[in-house]
Amino acid sequence: MKVLLVEDNEMNRDMLSRRLMRNGYEVVMAVDGQQAVTLAGSASPDIILMDMSLPVIDGWEATRRVKADPATKGIPVIALTAHAMAEDEKKARDAGCDDFDTKPVDIQRLMGKMQALLGSA
Amino acid sequence: MKRTLSSEEEHAFLRATLDYMQHGVAMYDADHKLVTWNERFVDYLQMPEEFLGTDRTFSDYIRYIGARGEFGEDADIEKELEKRLKVLATSHSFERVRPDGMVMEVRRDPVPGGGFIAIYTDITERKKQELALRKAMEDAESANKVKSSFLANMSHELRTPLNAIIGYSELLAEDAQDRGDKAALGDLEKISAAGKHLLGLINEILDLSKIEAGKMEVYLERVDLRKAIDDVKTIVDPMIAKNGSRLVIECPPDIGGLKTDITKIKQCLINLLSNAAKFTKQGTVLLRLSREKDDHGVAHVRFDVGDSGIGMTPEQLGRLFQAFTQADSSTTRNFGGTGLGLTITRHFVTMLGGAIDVVSEPGKGSTFTITLPDRGGGEAEAGHAADDLRMQPEGVASAITVLIVDDDPAVHDVLSATLGREGYVLLHARDGAEALAIMRKSPPDIVTLDVQMPKIDGWSVLGIMKSESALEHIPVIMLTIVDDRNLGFSLGASEFMTKPIDRNKLTALLRKLAPAKADAVILIVDDDPDVREVIAATVKAAGMTSAQAANGREALGWLSNHAAPALVLLDLMMPEVDGFEFLEKVRELDSMIEVPIVVLTAKDLTERERSFLAERTLLVLSKSGQPIGTLGAALSALAHRHHGAAESRLEK
Repeated sequence: MKVLLVEDNEMNRDMLSRRLMRNGYEVVMAVDGQQAVTLAGSASPDIILMDMSLPVIDGWEATRRVKADPATKGIPVIALTAHAMAEDEKKARDAGCDDFDTKPVDIQRLMGKMQALLGSA
Repeated sequence: MKRTLSSEEEHAFLRATLDYMQHGVAMYDADHKLVTWNERFVDYLQMPEEFLGTDRTFSDYIRYIGARGEFGEDADIEKELEKRLKVLATSHSFERVRPDGMVMEVRRDPVPGGGFIAIYTDITERKKQELALRKAMEDAESANKVKSSFLANMSHELRTPLNAIIGYSELLAEDAQDRGDKAALGDLEKISAAGKHLLGLINEILDLSKIEAGKMEVYLERVDLRKAIDDVKTIVDPMIAKNGSRLVIECPPDIGGLKTDITKIKQCLINLLSNAAKFTKQGTVLLRLSREKDDHGVAHVRFDVGDSGIGMTPEQLGRLFQAFTQADSSTTRNFGGTGLGLTITRHFVTMLGGAIDVVSEPGKGSTFTITLPDRGGGEAEAGHAADDLRMQPEGVASAITVLIVDDDPAVHDVLSATLGREGYVLLHARDGAEALAIMRKSPPDIVTLDVQMPKIDGWSVLGIMKSESALEHIPVIMLTIVDDRNLGFSLGASEFMTKPIDRNKLTALLRKLAPAKADAVILIVDDDPDVREVIAATVKAAGMTSAQAANGREALGWLSNHAAPALVLLDLMMPEVDGFEFLEKVRELDSMIEVPIVVLTAKDLTERERSFLAERTLLVLSKSGQPIGTLGAALSALAHRHHGAAESRLEK
């Protein structure tokens, strides 16, 4: 199972990738929205975990682009934001995200959401 | 017994009355001659002796005041006089400032049989107090704004390192678990738990500050209640299991839907259930949903959250919904929690039009009840549910309100003439403060915003709008002045781009503005080295060369030693010489007259606001460059897109 993890904060990227790998996922990483869009096409991940405030292009725009491309639009995207404000979730879903979770990540909860999306895909 | 006063006595009484009054009083007869006055009048008006007789008229007196300079240095005294004579037949009042700073309120009323009476009141103190009060209010408002944005930034800054603390302690805890190192595991779990507690506090304080600043928004949509309950169950199940209790959910299978804010109602239920979980050991936590009608026959959905926990005394119940108080100050020590959850829950329930209630007895547990009105729409298909929100008639400009913000009356006139004819409803503001006041009272569909205005400029107004949830979605058309030399901003700027830079857009822009010659140089002026690098890479990929400058001074230095570049990419906020000053100075260089300059705008806009601007409809037009017809077309395009977006949101 291959996960594309998009996160510009180095510590967050390191933490989450190690925990995902420990749980048996293969992890590909992108540090900005542009890279995320590129890797979504070239690395064919099964699912994308997307931070929203990213450099170059932000997570909302990156999600829109992933969902606009027929080649990548089938990949489920889970938005990760720092704080669960109602408007954040709304904005993420409007951009095309399939689910939404908050940081710091509760790994069990996140993996539950990932499995739910992958199972239904 | 009533005694008739002699005419002398009557006169003396009148005289005394006038002289003891706290106002200056003067009476003029039908010929405008001064017939009666009191001492305060003489004192207030500082009139020389010779005016206090019947041989002078009101007109003489006005001319004297005018000559004294009280209407201003260059005032046309005859015109001022005419203005005053014109209104003498009616009651009127105005304020006058004496040259020494004393402020008087002047009131004139006509009397029967011709003539009039003038009353002068010293309102200097009152004016001073009003001014101080207004200043205090403005200070308080700006302090409040500063506080809100400080809290928002601060909580973000606090959360970032906290994420690392929680994440790495959990990572280590997993390691310790694998190794079977129980001592380390216990300690690491304490670090993680303390981190999560702190995080909860920060998040709730931010929520509360947003609520108090009136910035919390409600998003109404059709909510499938069973699905919402399932989501809540996933989150609270582990909390309840931790104390050896179990969750019982009673929900009729036909509970259906409700039009409400899904995130807020979920948050409320999670708050109540996690409280119940905390205070219940080896017991039962109940979540029950039902439908009922109130005394007025209005349908409600009722959520009961009951526990078999420690319960509360009536005194504790009284303090329950106040911020930072739990039933007992020792509660926090024993049970954790921030003490803000219930306060926030009550605010949310109120925002959703519902009510929250609690029944409790010590030792017997507590039951919290939330009731939310069901105003219909919940059962309908999503497409129909949106109908009642779609209030704007289709394709009619008359439904669209445009707020014109400009300090130049001529712009208002021109726009009123063109847009008014198209059927737009126009609102007018002469400055930024007035604009914001109008927007907050009744948000327009579109705002046209002048960049250069006294006090608050257009960019600041835009910045404030984008920071207020009620205003941030309003499309803005910036109007900039190109022909005014003193206003450095727009001098020759060819295009505007928002940061973060979109490489595709930048490449397209380069192709459009810079001739594709091998020796074409693009000058990048930005104080952020990362931004310069990103742009330089894009320029290189487009087959061009770039030069970099970290501020306006360096850029001007580079220009004086090199041939003119093909294009300048310019940041606005930089140290030493900023983008505005650079623009002003660079046009004095002959070699630079033809060179296109692209302004990278990010002034006062946060990351989120920038992306907002990039994805929405910020159009930058130039006031002198664009024929006014273009503006009309841009407005209707914007209005269309705006409505289209609103509808597609609703249909989701």
